[in-house]
Amino acid sequence: MKKVSLSKLLLALMLVFLLVLAACSGSDDEQEDTGTDTETEEGTEEGAEEEEEDTDGLYSIDDFNVDKTNEGEAIEGGTLNYGLVSDTVFEGVLNRVFYEGNPDYEVLKFFDENLLAIDNNFNYTQDGAAEWELTENDDGTVTVTFMIRDNVNWHDGEPVTAEDLAFAYEVIGSPEYTGVRYYYIEDVVGMEAYNAGEADAIEGLEIVDDKTLSVTFTNANPSLLASGLWTSPLPKHIFEEIPIEEMAESDAVRVNPIGFGPFKVETITPGESVTYSANEDYWRGAPKLDGITLKVVAPQVVANELETGGVDVVDSFPTDQYPDVEENLTNVEFLGQIDTAYTYIGFKLGSWDEEAGEVVPDPNAKMADVNLRRAMWHAVDNDTVGERFYNGLRWAGTTLIIPAFPDYHDPTIETPSYDQEEANRLLDEAGYVDVDGDNIRENPDGEELVINFASMSGGDVAEPIANYYIQAWEQVGLKVELVDGRLMEFNSFYDRVEADDPDIDIYQGAWGTGTDVDQNGLYGRSAAYNYTRYASEENDELLAKGASPEAMDIDYRVDVYKEWQQLMVDEIPVFPTLYRAELVPVNNRVTDWSIQAEWILNNSFHEVGVTQEDPVLPE
Amino acid sequence: MWKFIVRRLLITLPQIILLSVLVFLMAQMMPGDALTGQVDPNVSPEIKEQIRERLGLNNPWYIQYRDWVAGILQGDLGQSFRFKMDVTELLSQRIANTFWLSLVTLIFTYIIAVPLGITSGRYNDTLLDQGITGYTYLGFATPLFIFALFMVWVFGYQLGWFPTSGSVQPGLTPGTMEYVISKFNHLLLPALSMALIATVSTVQYLRSEIVDTKQKDFIVTARAKGASESRVYNRHILRNSLLPIAAFFGWEITSLISGTIFIEQIFGYPGMGALFLETILLRDYSVVTALVLLFGIASILGALLSDIILSLVDPRIRIK
Repeated sequence: MKKVSLSKLLLALMLVFLLVLAACSGSDDEQEDTGTDTETEEGTEEGAEEEEEDTDGLYSIDDFNVDKTNEGEAIEGGTLNYGLVSDTVFEGVLNRVFYEGNPDYEVLKFFDENLLAIDNNFNYTQDGAAEWELTENDDGTVTVTFMIRDNVNWHDGEPVTAEDLAFAYEVIGSPEYTGVRYYYIEDVVGMEAYNAGEADAIEGLEIVDDKTLSVTFTNANPSLLASGLWTSPLPKHIFEEIPIEEMAESDAVRVNPIGFGPFKVETITPGESVTYSANEDYWRGAPKLDGITLKVVAPQVVANELETGGVDVVDSFPTDQYPDVEENLTNVEFLGQIDTAYTYIGFKLGSWDEEAGEVVPDPNAKMADVNLRRAMWHAVDNDTVGERFYNGLRWAGTTLIIPAFPDYHDPTIETPSYDQEEANRLLDEAGYVDVDGDNIRENPDGEELVINFASMSGGDVAEPIANYYIQAWEQVGLKVELVDGRLMEFNSFYDRVEADDPDIDIYQGAWGTGTDVDQNGLYGRSAAYNYTRYASEENDELLAKGASPEAMDIDYRVDVYKEWQQLMVDEIPVFPTLYRAELVPVNNRVTDWSIQAEWILNNSFHEVGVTQEDPVLPE
Repeated sequence: MWKFIVRRLLITLPQIILLSVLVFLMAQMMPGDALTGQVDPNVSPEIKEQIRERLGLNNPWYIQYRDWVAGILQGDLGQSFRFKMDVTELLSQRIANTFWLSLVTLIFTYIIAVPLGITSGRYNDTLLDQGITGYTYLGFATPLFIFALFMVWVFGYQLGWFPTSGSVQPGLTPGTMEYVISKFNHLLLPALSMALIATVSTVQYLRSEIVDTKQKDFIVTARAKGASESRVYNRHILRNSLLPIAAFFGWEITSLISGTIFIEQIFGYPGMGALFLETILLRDYSVVTALVLLFGIASILGALLSDIILSLVDPRIRIK
């Protein structure tokens, strides 16, 4: 008898176990889709969020600091543990000229820096390792002169010279260069000839003296001053001997890279960790810390690493985990700010002319009626989406220049908010009425209207959010269906959106904004990334104005882009759905850490200290 | 005997060729390439097109395949687009980690499997046996990646007995005793996690072999001759039951490969399995195809090894 009951028990136990596993396994999907780490592409929703039943537990970005609150005096020395949160390792291309993946940037930012400093609007200031001067020449060209400070030296003691900076231009401009940074320097006078191999030197470069380099550009473009200059020198005394096509794989990049930043590389364990020591000779002054240990941390275990003090700071924290862990992590302070990215819904309004290299809008496109587009904006409640799926860590977006650009973002512009009645009214007026009595609107010609919606898979919330939008549109009588009836994998999604697949009428995508407000690359007539294929003369004009020599005057530029934001709200080729928060946890022992752009991009890591030898643990 | 091995080797060759074609074609059919992920408005489509042209991504597949095979025959697996280095060099960085992890896992697997299997088989249908069988069922049912996360949580974070990521403590100099100890320390938890799951099939296999052998005539004879119980088990039963386990060894290698992919990802352990996942995410095909090919060859060789061991052990197989 005993045997039977035991096996029954075992069976029951296994059933329970099975259920538990089935419930757990869902959360593992998210890691499949984060395969994009380019800085400007925000393809997939990493969020894997349990739907919150109650409205408690909502967070607001306003409740977070951007600077770490210091809890005590920093001690002499100490080592900071930095976590690089990534599904993929850093590839080990540790040089600004060659790296491509963001993880590599996270590694190299501690030991290398740009010569020019920036402010929170990503405009250049005079506080960096070099001062600069801009002269507009009579022939329409502009010359930027870099004056490198005398006390700026490479880690091996050699001074950073004008020649090193010029060398970087020569390498990037060379036909043998294998990286993707050419766009930074293509406007330098004489670069085209040099790149084609027709000239031995770049005409626009002039080494004035050891520490002074002037670079002449063919036209004045305000982007130049909004972090659009190449300002990272390449140590010529090291790279001179190496053929350009072999530089990226050389030891000078992978094994013992040098820079002139606050920390020096001590050891690199490929793909998993890097140790740094303080650079006593750093031009801003010796760092407070003795060193930094950086290690790669998988997103699944980052909260545990923080709790046990394995890492003090991470580069970015998966915000979807925040509600689950914030109570336990009493040993860290979460800093937060608006992330430089937005999610949007785009309407396909034309096609791409490969020959002419420009967008051809189609006035007969299914989505061509602006009132239809506006009604669709009115029909969705993005604040609720942000609350329900992201605990308030994402919220409804308004304009296409996000608040991360404080001077340029215009919060006064009125954008269509959630209002079903208004949506219904707009659709009625535009002639989208239900003629056959099935509660679904037909188009103005009385034909059936089915809008095909493309959305990406990835994360637990991708599907419910897509379904929410479809239902919200159905409530105002619009029939929207997922393309092929399912979500698309990231690569196929972009392949098809890019190829103007006629099966796609609207799509949900996301953009990282980068550091420049210039919108030509995303919304210009000749931009291949203008996936909606929208173009209008007014848009051309404003975008041209924003990139014109007059816009070197920042006030003028701000006005132009405010006008442009308004235009985008009037024309609605896309509408931003969600802005998002970026969270960075910092251990309580760390002092003077910050996540502001001007702090983090200006390598202020030498200010950072710790109040005790070991990380603070939760009480 | 040798005839069998040679014949078996000859079959392996077309298997590998077929594998390479399949691997290559499948990589070709995956949507996107190393450049699709870079939806970066700064990098114009023309530049991307130039890079594709330079990498030969625009050639028809058979030309790409020809170039690829020609490279492999010279020991050149191509260049990784994302890592900017030779695939062979990249693999050599990683292969040592995976080798040690697999070795330690194998050792653990057998250390756990043999005593459990013997106990379970010898005392079958007792409470002890049911306990062990229960564990094997749980092991069969538990996905490795869930179990690994559980192990990290308990032994890595809650108890803090083991390091939780990486293959070595940052900052140590290779070659020192400290470095070796740290390496081993980092190996233990992932290897144990994998072994606890991987071992269950071997336990069951061993158990059923022993239960089976126990009833054979020659055991009855041995007992009748008056052999002591421990002699019966150690000399007669165990020897006969372990042979199929030895043959199973080659297959173990195959299961290790799939195991390391999850384990290395969860433990942040930079080996070939982690590299495999990373490069798929990055669409770095030259690395992916090289890895699949290597994994495939390892499996084929594993099967070959199994067959050879089996033929050594059991002459009946050799006949045909």
